[in-house]
Amino acid sequence: MTIDIQGISKRFGTYAALQDINLRVGAGELVALLGPSGSGKTTLLRIIAGLETADSGTVLFEGEETLNRHPRDRRVGFVFQHYALFRHMTVFNNVAFGLQVRPRGQRPPKAEIAERVHRLLKLVQLDWLADRYPNQLSGGQRQRVALARALAIEPRVLLLDEPFGALDAKVRKELRRWLRHLHEEMGITSVFVTHDQEEALELADRVVVMSQGRIEQVGTPGTVYRTPSTGFVYEFLGDVNRVECRVESGQVLLEAGGTPLGGAADHAGPAILYVRPHDIELLPPDERLGAATVRLVHEVGPVTRAEVEYAGTLFEVVLPEGGRVPAQGELVRLSIRRGMLFPRERDPGEPPRPFLPFRSGGPTPAVNLGPHTAGMG
Amino acid sequence: MTGLVLKRPSILPGFGLTLGITIAYLSLVVLIPLAALAANAAGLGWSGFWNAVLTPRVLAAFRVTFGTSLAAGLINAVFGLLVAWVLVRYEFPGHRIVDALVDLPFALPTAVAGIALTALYAGNGWIGGLLEPMGLKVAFTPLGIVVALTFVGLPFVVRTVQPVLQDLEAEQEEAAAVLGAGRLQTFLRVILPAILPALLTGFTLAFARALGEYGSVIFIAGNLPMVSEIVPLLIIIKLEQFDYAGATAIGTLMLMASFALLLAINLLQRWTRARHGG
Repeated sequence: MTIDIQGISKRFGTYAALQDINLRVGAGELVALLGPSGSGKTTLLRIIAGLETADSGTVLFEGEETLNRHPRDRRVGFVFQHYALFRHMTVFNNVAFGLQVRPRGQRPPKAEIAERVHRLLKLVQLDWLADRYPNQLSGGQRQRVALARALAIEPRVLLLDEPFGALDAKVRKELRRWLRHLHEEMGITSVFVTHDQEEALELADRVVVMSQGRIEQVGTPGTVYRTPSTGFVYEFLGDVNRVECRVESGQVLLEAGGTPLGGAADHAGPAILYVRPHDIELLPPDERLGAATVRLVHEVGPVTRAEVEYAGTLFEVVLPEGGRVPAQGELVRLSIRRGMLFPRERDPGEPPRPFLPFRSGGPTPAVNLGPHTAGMG
Repeated sequence: MTGLVLKRPSILPGFGLTLGITIAYLSLVVLIPLAALAANAAGLGWSGFWNAVLTPRVLAAFRVTFGTSLAAGLINAVFGLLVAWVLVRYEFPGHRIVDALVDLPFALPTAVAGIALTALYAGNGWIGGLLEPMGLKVAFTPLGIVVALTFVGLPFVVRTVQPVLQDLEAEQEEAAAVLGAGRLQTFLRVILPAILPALLTGFTLAFARALGEYGSVIFIAGNLPMVSEIVPLLIIIKLEQFDYAGATAIGTLMLMASFALLLAINLLQRWTRARHGG
């Protein structure tokens, strides 16, 4: 089933929660609404479910207007962040609820309900807990019960609001993988809300990055990660250095001056350079090119990070695995291999400029890098 | 030796001290006076006790007291729930005032309430004047007692249900709606079971309060023996006739009946709580 969201706007008082949202979710797709809190992602999800009304715009299910339908007639499966399980009902009755409340004519017979509930509980691997109450389960188990309950009504659309938000890191990872499998098996059109970029990138077919009630970018996980179309997306997806700079005669310079960091085509004036920490290389210092100072080195699990100061600007650098780790206070030279330039003043929708790295880390021909080179490779 | 069993290591301080004070306090305030009452009644001996109690007038008073208290408790359970619901779920002008009004029956001397209600519901009162032509007599009948007891017991249900309703996440109702439940189904299957323990507590408190109520009832009841005479009044009458033994006998029976009922409700409550997984 496809979902068409057309021109949805929503205000809470003077606060614009959503502004003219247009989005199409294809049949069987798994789409992530990704954004920080206050970006409007949960509001959008609740409008699709009918738990919130939109001020303007429409939502079409398979081309059919749905906004004027009560949530109970939409056949939507909704999984709440805090599960919202019925505390006074057993797991079995929680899952059976959607079937038991059907009008007499459409209600399946008792035996069939029982059979379907057990099948669903088997699907979420909780068949053995059917007689327990929700407060006797762990967080991950509760979330799976909530999912089984949502699936029991054979929804046309599955909506998940921060489904793993309240779980600890290990369980979250497990459930994520499991949900991906489940989606591949059942093929229900699904939309889930998350503020965790890793979750969105791993799970979704397409990611919708939202900020302040607007859609910043829509694309496959690869696209939004590799070619972010706005600075916000760049910053939100993964660690990034945000460097204030200016472009003069095709060269990118720091505000404080110093040697150019690289080149840029068709732009002049102030700009912001985005560089991922692993796209910066540390080379032995070269007096002609200006030296940077290593301020801090710290290891976090498998990666080693360094904070390097260059002409008054701090850069975060991820050092390559197995390479030489510089000492604190050591002089080095920064070489930026990849980045993206966003002119300070630009029209919305105007694409960013690519950052053109200098081939061997400097504007002059390749220099002799000395004995450190092999180690820094 | 028992001291050793009670003294389990615990982070919470002062178990021995607080339990000691609790028992002493309860003994002083509740147990000793009640035991004195029972001891006094025991002076009559079994046959004397039953003779004092098993008279038609006393039994009728028991029927009136328990019947009207039960009715008032049930009415309060239904409408108190409604009031609590409105106070928790909706914002409206005068919200604070309505909220404060709920406590008024606690603060008002019950005799004042009785006089006011009697003036209203008597044949020449504002409400009584409207009801009596329709053949509905409220003042000076058991119906009047129910009205007075309902007034007195109102805050109990509202104040016990209110916090529980407040804690009930709106998400549960939303979940029910998305799963296809109608409003009535959502109320009966999701909301009511969640607040049932609190509602039962409120009902019990209102009911217990009504059993012992005296001040507001005697004005509106009319106090006709066999018809609208309540047990507390009968005890006063016996005392005024210097029939202390008779008064204590009735009091003891009242005590036993009340205790049995409250215990039963408590057990029922425990059962619902256990069933609903706390």
